[in-house]
Amino acid sequence: MMSRKCVPFTPFERELSRATVALVTAGGVHRRDQEPFNIADELGDLTFRVIEGEVASSDLMVTHHHYDHTDADRDINVVFPIDALRELAAEGFIGEVAREHVGYMGYTMQLKQMYEQTAPAIAEEIDKRSRADVVVLTGG
Amino acid sequence: MAVQREIEMRGISTVLITVSPEASRQMRPPRALYPRDFKIGNSLGRPGMRELHKRVLREALGLLKEPPRPGEIIEREYPEYQALSSKA
Repeated sequence: MMSRKCVPFTPFERELSRATVALVTAGGVHRRDQEPFNIADELGDLTFRVIEGEVASSDLMVTHHHYDHTDADRDINVVFPIDALRELAAEGFIGEVAREHVGYMGYTMQLKQMYEQTAPAIAEEIDKRSRADVVVLTGG
Repeated sequence: MAVQREIEMRGISTVLITVSPEASRQMRPPRALYPRDFKIGNSLGRPGMRELHKRVLREALGLLKEPPRPGEIIEREYPEYQALSSKA
């Protein structure tokens, strides 16, 4: 069990209007041409998918069996607000949309592997390749 | 969520938009917004409600500029969501 006292916290001292923002969702979002998450395995799927910033929202879909994603199937922005984020960049509220975002399936019985492998691997991907100053997470 | 903590530990500021506030509270997120009474699967609202999606996203990002309250879940009301959901 993680310490309940310790909350990792990075102060944000920049301006939002200059920040690069990435999205990370546990909602099982991926591109239609990427391998879907494995919903047949009762233990869950510990992998993640990298979604590039220029992706068309119509090229995205959800594979997840632990929530009702009917609404996300109609408009992916309800769990992965990529079009909304682009509009905030166009309006100058944020600086820009990051070059990379991440989707994973936030459901697994393999919590140890989630904590020790998947979570650090997603953080590494964001840190090394998205060039984001800020990450917005959804799901869960 | 573990992913949020890992990203924050690398020196990148994060904010979680949660629709499962009880579960999220256990994880003590660095920053989190709960749009009150939004259903699971509707983190930003209902389909097509782009202005609402942007408003939730702006307010989540806005938490980065507010006094820090690490471990707390900030609740906000979005009456336009309720109005649409009660009709649905």
